[in-house]
Amino acid sequence: MSHVNVTADLSERNVELGSIGGVARNACLAVGIIGLAVAFLLPVFGLADVTWDIFWRSWLQTWIFVLEISLGAFFFVIIQHLTRAGWSVAVRRPAEVIASNLNWLWIGFLPIVGLLVFGKASHLFPWSDMEALAAHAPEEAHLVAGKEAYLNTPFFLIRSAIYFVVWGVLATYFWRASIRQGTETGDRTTLKMQKISAPAAILFGLTISFAAFDWIMSLSPAWFSTMFGVYFFAGTATCGFSAIIITCILLQRNGRMVNLITNEHYQDMGKLLFGIGMVFWAYIGFSQYMLIWYANIPEETGWFLARQMGDWGWFSVWLLFGHFCIPFVFLISKHPKRNWRTLVFAALWMLFFGWFDVYWLVMPTIPHDLSTFATYDAAAEAYAHVGTGLLNPVNWLLLAGMLGIFTWFTIGRLRSHPLICTSDPWIDDSLHFENM
Amino acid sequence: MSTVTANKTTPTDKNDRRKLYGLIAEFETPGQVVKAAEQVRDAGFKWWDCCTPFPVHGLDKAMGIRPTILPIAVFFAGLTGTIAAFVLQSFTNASDFSVWALVWVTGYPFMISGKPFLSVPAFIPVMFELTILFAALGTFSMMFGFNGLPRLHHPLFRSKRFRRVTDDRFFVVIEARDPRFFQSRTQAFLETLEPISIEAVED
Repeated sequence: MSHVNVTADLSERNVELGSIGGVARNACLAVGIIGLAVAFLLPVFGLADVTWDIFWRSWLQTWIFVLEISLGAFFFVIIQHLTRAGWSVAVRRPAEVIASNLNWLWIGFLPIVGLLVFGKASHLFPWSDMEALAAHAPEEAHLVAGKEAYLNTPFFLIRSAIYFVVWGVLATYFWRASIRQGTETGDRTTLKMQKISAPAAILFGLTISFAAFDWIMSLSPAWFSTMFGVYFFAGTATCGFSAIIITCILLQRNGRMVNLITNEHYQDMGKLLFGIGMVFWAYIGFSQYMLIWYANIPEETGWFLARQMGDWGWFSVWLLFGHFCIPFVFLISKHPKRNWRTLVFAALWMLFFGWFDVYWLVMPTIPHDLSTFATYDAAAEAYAHVGTGLLNPVNWLLLAGMLGIFTWFTIGRLRSHPLICTSDPWIDDSLHFENM
Repeated sequence: MSTVTANKTTPTDKNDRRKLYGLIAEFETPGQVVKAAEQVRDAGFKWWDCCTPFPVHGLDKAMGIRPTILPIAVFFAGLTGTIAAFVLQSFTNASDFSVWALVWVTGYPFMISGKPFLSVPAFIPVMFELTILFAALGTFSMMFGFNGLPRLHHPLFRSKRFRRVTDDRFFVVIEARDPRFFQSRTQAFLETLEPISIEAVED
């Protein structure tokens, strides 16, 4: 039926990574280890003004970014099964592999657990040491005291463990089942994955929202936003979809998946990135902002005020334009989505701004004396000197370190199995998929 | 085997010789109509069309249809909505000059909960909505315009055979106004495409 005759080359040479990527993989490991080691040395010797407080905050920020990549890919996998999508079979395996990293990413959270257990996390999570909070910010302590039944160290750790178990088990399941599906005939595994995808979607929605509340929102425990979980979800879509696009393009640049992933797939992945990772993100971000801006209640506005003072003002403007306005105009037409050069540029851009977004969420701290200022202008002037610390090497070293190890794992898992599930019932649909 | 049906329709209107609208060739599968379309395209016809019961992938390319400019027009329709919403709100809420719009209207600076008169965040929901509204109405009306709709009757509806286009038949229609159209020669050409029937339709 298709008029464009694409010869689907499902030979091993085309669908297995083979020996390719070995050098890149080792380089990633080296960058990962060196990055983390050098980053660790900064606070030890007090270089570049890096204190342990800054180090752990930056650690948390970078780790959440890497986690977002996997969570976004995991979401991609779930919705493909949930909607019985045929088009995506050709690009699902890379997504499954990126998502499967969820079964070891919890290791990056262990240092934070250690800080909490040994009572050293009060600079990160003020609620973890109520006495210290009451000493230097009594008003905030009063507000946070009402949340103690939820925000306390044991319950926090239990919840975190639940998220890791849910993500680890489900992401590993979808990855392993898809590999099993590739070795058997019939649709037994396919149907089972579809069945599991529905409860998985519900669990994903719940865990990701609460994880956002726990790990990011509770950094400023007096502040709250019911929209926050959805905002974080949109951020995961940005990072995850970008990473899938970049992975697919890298595979094809290395002579794999030739004619299996086509411009049609790229256009659809571009649409997802555009629709969820960009427009939906902006929609949710603005919805969250506007309600707080309109109501103008000090309890709520402090969080945004901290992101408007000093250098953070320009940072926020960059976030708006870099994460939405500029890529919106760039990617709105179908042509940049169907050209791998422009699409990979957009995906790299969005991946960077996904990181930028997490930085904006995690790094600013709300000054405790905000309520003592008579006007906005007075507060803004008093804190006009606040810097973002964006250029501090610790951020970039940790980013290189964690991304390096993440990529090392990902390439390793891509090499261990075929890059496409060749016996999926919808493989033909996917290979001959056309948008128009 | 192609069976050629001569047009046997006797004009119902007295003494009114109808003009020929074109020739239609009937096919049984989407694959055949795509193949036929490629040949009609290569033969250089301009006024012709394919009619199918459902969208056939690859047909646009086989027919050599240029991509529509509708998306570009819709983008600017949306942009018009954004700007219109911003101008309207900033004029009505944040200015005090008068403008003649059939009658004289004056902006009324309106203080709401201590916000500045020109509060862009408050304007954004309306800007968003008008962007969608203008883009949607623009898409709808321009699609109608480009396609010459609404159109209550079409010569092809005279053909009994053509009715199956809504069910299980695929047609290539070459119109008589095409400069390359000559009834006998075009009919011979259509026969080489191996349709299951060819019919001449009058206007």
